Amino acid sequence: MEKIDIKELERIPIPEGLEERLSAKIDEWARPSKSPLKGDFKSSPFKGDRRGSALLLAASFILVCGIGLYFALAPTNKGTVDTYDDPETASLEAQKALQLLATNLNKGMAQYEKAVN
Amino acid sequence: MNYKLFHKIVLMVALMTTTISVHAQVEAFEKYADMKNVTYVYISQAMLKLAKGLATPSVPGMDMKDAFTKLNAVQIITSDNKAARAKLKAEVAEVVKRDKYEMLMQVDEDDSKVRIYFKDGKKQAVILMSTDESNETSVIVFTGTFKIEDIQKMTEK
Repeated sequence: MEKIDIKELERIPIPEGLEERLSAKIDEWARPSKSPLKGDFKSSPFKGDRRGSALLLAASFILVCGIGLYFALAPTNKGTVDTYDDPETASLEAQKALQLLATNLNKGMAQYEKAVN
Repeated sequence: MNYKLFHKIVLMVALMTTTISVHAQVEAFEKYADMKNVTYVYISQAMLKLAKGLATPSVPGMDMKDAFTKLNAVQIITSDNKAARAKLKAEVAEVVKRDKYEMLMQVDEDDSKVRIYFKDGKKQAVILMSTDESNETSVIVFTGTFKIEDIQKMTEK
């Protein structure tokens, strides 16, 4: 096997800027790898559209809050549960209430007219 | 960008908010449903829609069916208990002051005192009528999309 002559190898000209390029490449390898989130982001349906993603995130947040509020304030107490199951009874009660309102309004108007005349 | 999905979500949230706001209008007196010595009646918009066909023109100047269509809810709270009556009266005073109701009418008779308040909100109006008699206090809350003109019609015999 032929012996490698180191001195002969040293005589081979080194391309200009090779040392700098190699240093830069080594530095790049030494840097920490990119966040996995960024990698996933590229594969999202928005293809890197950060504004779209932010809007979707905000909309999802509002939706979750909306659903939460809806169920939190849903008619769980007796106060918003119909007293009557029968529409006829409900109708009679509502009419009675409206009639009472009309009677009192007319009483008030009569008192007013009496006071004016 | 997926704008269609975004718009759908916004619409859903808006619908939920509307439902919540409709519910919020009547909640001031909801607590009386569970209170002892108090009779609480709640008639919802859905029930009023069902009951609309059964309404009869029993009040002069008022189209009952039209009134039922405009109503979103009716709450009737009645009590003959001294403590509950005092609480109910205080509640009415607080709601009227806090929500800036305007007094429509005051009818004072020997045995009863009636106060009728009105509030025209952005989405719906409220008529609150409190009646204080010697042995009983009652509050009726009408919530709906009616106007002051509709109330005025009720006084036209």
